[in-house]
Amino acid sequence: MIDFRPILQVSGWLLCVLAAAMMVPTALDAALGHDEWRVFLGSAGATLFVGLALVLGTRAEWRDLTVRQAYLATTVAWLAPIPFAALPFVFGPLDLSFTDAVFEATSGITTTGSTVIAGLDRLPAGLLLWRGLLQWLGGIGIIVMALAVLPVLNIGGMQMFRIEMVSPSEKAAPRAARIGAGIIGVYVGMTVVLAILLWLAGMGGFDAIVHAMSTIATGGFSNYDTSIAYFDDMTIETIILVGMVLGGMPFLLFFHLAQGNWRTVVRDQQVHWYLTLLLLGSLAVAAWMVRSLGEDPGTALRQAAFTVASVMTGTGLVTVDYSAWVGMPVAILFFLTFVGGCAGSTAAGIKVFRLQFLFANALVQVRHLLRPHAVLIPTFNRKAIPEDVLESVMGFLFVYVLGFACLAMALAFLGLDFVTAISGAAAAISNVGPGLGPTIGPESTFAPLPALAKWLLAGGMVFGRLEMFTILVLFVPSFWRQ
Amino acid sequence: MMDFRPILQIVGLILAAMALAMLVPAAVDYLSDDLDWRVFVASSLVTGFVALGLILGTRTGAREQLSIRQAFVLTTAIWVAAAVAGAVPFAFSALKISITDAFFESMSGLTTTGSTVLSGLDSMPHGILLWRSILHWLGGIGIIVMAVAILPILRIGGMQLFKMESSDKTEKIRPRISQVAGGITTAYVGFTVVCGVLLWLAGMTPFEAVNHAMATLSTGGFSTSDASVGHFKSPLVDWIIILFMTIGGTSFVLFITPWKRKRWAILDDSQVRWYLGFLGFFALLLALWQWAVNDWSVHDSVRHALFNVVSVVTTTGFASTDYSLWGGFPQVVFFILTFIGGCTGSTAGGIKVFRWEVLFAMAGVHLKRLMHPHGIFVIDFNKRRISDQVVDSVLGFMVLYFLSFAVLALLLTMTGLDTVTALTGAATAISNVGPGLGDVIGPAGNFQPLPDSAKWLCAFGMLLGRLELFTVLVLFTRSFWRE
Repeated sequence: MIDFRPILQVSGWLLCVLAAAMMVPTALDAALGHDEWRVFLGSAGATLFVGLALVLGTRAEWRDLTVRQAYLATTVAWLAPIPFAALPFVFGPLDLSFTDAVFEATSGITTTGSTVIAGLDRLPAGLLLWRGLLQWLGGIGIIVMALAVLPVLNIGGMQMFRIEMVSPSEKAAPRAARIGAGIIGVYVGMTVVLAILLWLAGMGGFDAIVHAMSTIATGGFSNYDTSIAYFDDMTIETIILVGMVLGGMPFLLFFHLAQGNWRTVVRDQQVHWYLTLLLLGSLAVAAWMVRSLGEDPGTALRQAAFTVASVMTGTGLVTVDYSAWVGMPVAILFFLTFVGGCAGSTAAGIKVFRLQFLFANALVQVRHLLRPHAVLIPTFNRKAIPEDVLESVMGFLFVYVLGFACLAMALAFLGLDFVTAISGAAAAISNVGPGLGPTIGPESTFAPLPALAKWLLAGGMVFGRLEMFTILVLFVPSFWRQ
Repeated sequence: MMDFRPILQIVGLILAAMALAMLVPAAVDYLSDDLDWRVFVASSLVTGFVALGLILGTRTGAREQLSIRQAFVLTTAIWVAAAVAGAVPFAFSALKISITDAFFESMSGLTTTGSTVLSGLDSMPHGILLWRSILHWLGGIGIIVMAVAILPILRIGGMQLFKMESSDKTEKIRPRISQVAGGITTAYVGFTVVCGVLLWLAGMTPFEAVNHAMATLSTGGFSTSDASVGHFKSPLVDWIIILFMTIGGTSFVLFITPWKRKRWAILDDSQVRWYLGFLGFFALLLALWQWAVNDWSVHDSVRHALFNVVSVVTTTGFASTDYSLWGGFPQVVFFILTFIGGCTGSTAGGIKVFRWEVLFAMAGVHLKRLMHPHGIFVIDFNKRRISDQVVDSVLGFMVLYFLSFAVLALLLTMTGLDTVTALTGAATAISNVGPGLGDVIGPAGNFQPLPDSAKWLCAFGMLLGRLELFTVLVLFTRSFWRE
């Protein structure tokens, strides 16, 4: 039997953090004189109560989590905050149904950015801030998970990213803690810098903060229905573009950079591929816009780069309604949805490094055809990729595609049309946000979907965010057998 | 420098076979007083002339073994040369179609894809219709022989699993290969004849029966009517074709001397079980959908669901009805089914069921390893262990498959196609299915309105998918041409 106490305790602590976070919109609404603050205060109270009960009720002597406990803890830690984070949406002035509220909260915490709320421009500031905060906290959660938890659990080839010890004399735990603290520092620092830049570029202070949080977390909630197009300002777009691109890069590299280790950063193959894909995608889309829509090259490049970066990093902020596009750019965006960002970033999707592993292997296979007896080994960043890592990655990819196919079929079964079902499934699993087509495209919301479809999509978001296997392993019977 | 002579010689032999095959539609046209018979005779003479030139001009005297490189070049060269030869009658016939269209049609025939640029099939001269079916049929047998004899030796995408086991040590390997090839051809011809006879008994004219039998067994999909099999409106015809499409997507090796095996040996093969499982599951799903959502009768929904699912999974491409009108869910299902494909050693295209089995097993192994990080897990296929090398090849194949699909779809959008046409067109070409989805290339449409560049891209995609990617892609690596 698995000892549940440590798991519940971890969740309890997280709920306490969430309750603390709820105090921020409470304070804001109270200061602005909105009545909303009571809702936030009430939600915070309820969350804190449950959180404290869990923490205090499960005090036990425990040192290290077992592997099983780690899986359970990871999943529970993501699921537990969702219903509590949904409270302000249910009891707020929006009067969202429970389904919609959970959808919105899940979309926030997993940094997806799909929304069911229309009329954002008239929403009280507290709720807008709460949406931004959810994404921002989710972003931290993802980075910590990707650095500390997934590599140890060997999920989908992440074992290649175990933090290497520089010297054996250095103790593992303090070093990990130092790196963790350093990375959270980088995350906070980048958010602050981004917010200041946005403010200097002409955004209001409040807008700047919320959009900075949404950008760095590659989330995609905006304060306006028209998203970034509302500002229609080139400087703001450029700043957010850079922020999104940074959000999709491996945060460990920023830590190296802070240590003056810039050589590692420049040589990182994953970053090369990531930037190359972004660049190629932007150029292709821009070329299409110039040719087919008759835009002038400057505007085309600006809008194309923003859209491509937004979709590839899974952000979902928009400057232009790309659902009106047809043909090539749609296909590019559709494929880039699956590619996603780098390992250890806030972006989701399959991740660039997995594609690199597989591509390296495919090339080796082609060479192998000519020299059947040669020993050829695929490499990544000048390290050999072990056989079991390749198998993990392929297993991951298979489940990813399978999950996507099942979700798309289930959505279509509920009566959604072809484009909505396919792009909705892709947008949820890759945590992008808006889909394609008139129903869930960038100009509209997920509100008209049937309730069951919303639950499925919310499930898809969590599934994609936790890199599938963390959840899937819980469904293996032998997991529960001792 | 590579010695091209043996390659050209074998290509010459294949062309000679094509030239002979062209005489069949010539005879049919002559008997039905159609002037096109001259075109076929002329094409046959030209092809025969080129073939003779190749055969005689490349005599080397000594009979050498082909090197690996030569084998790769040969495989691709055969298919391209045969497709060019097959296009000649189309180009010069009374249809007056462009070279692009003719090549597209011929490539689509030989790779048993079944995408067509022709419309008005119902009133077309018999010779042309027969020639399309013959291309399918020859392509079908070519694929099976290739999958059994060549690909395993070249280790394409995990096919080394299917290297012929010489279980009996005393038996020489070479006679065994020719024995297997003979057995497969017998089974193929036998099934075609049975299918043709049954279709004739079910009410088709003999000409229609022959054509459809050839297109069914080769899982091709060219029909003699624009409405495809839906034209006959006969449940009996539908059921017969369902049965033989299913057979066409099964490993033909299993049909060699079945009486020497245990009674249900065919059903013991894990690949066949998965294949039938896929078919049954998705047919049931769609039948339920048609019955519940579109209010069809039970028999109609089962029949049409089964027919179209089998048609797509075996990459045939017949349509008993325009399934693009069924709604969103069936469209998604059909799009996904395009990628599954039949069994190895069959005439079907696609990724092939055994690769999905390997992948599925791999995902399972990953799952187990998560809980037992130091455990050692192996993947079994048909109760035999699969080596790491095979697993790696399968991985490489899958990755290249989806990469080729993505690149092809992108290139197609660049020629100006809309998203659905480009995505499904790329999928249908690489998997050799036939019709795509959407208004243009859906089951009710055809590929005629596509721009020329898109047709060439699709034709290349068909070749790529048919030759299991690696055979073609390896020719584009630099080290292939270096000595």
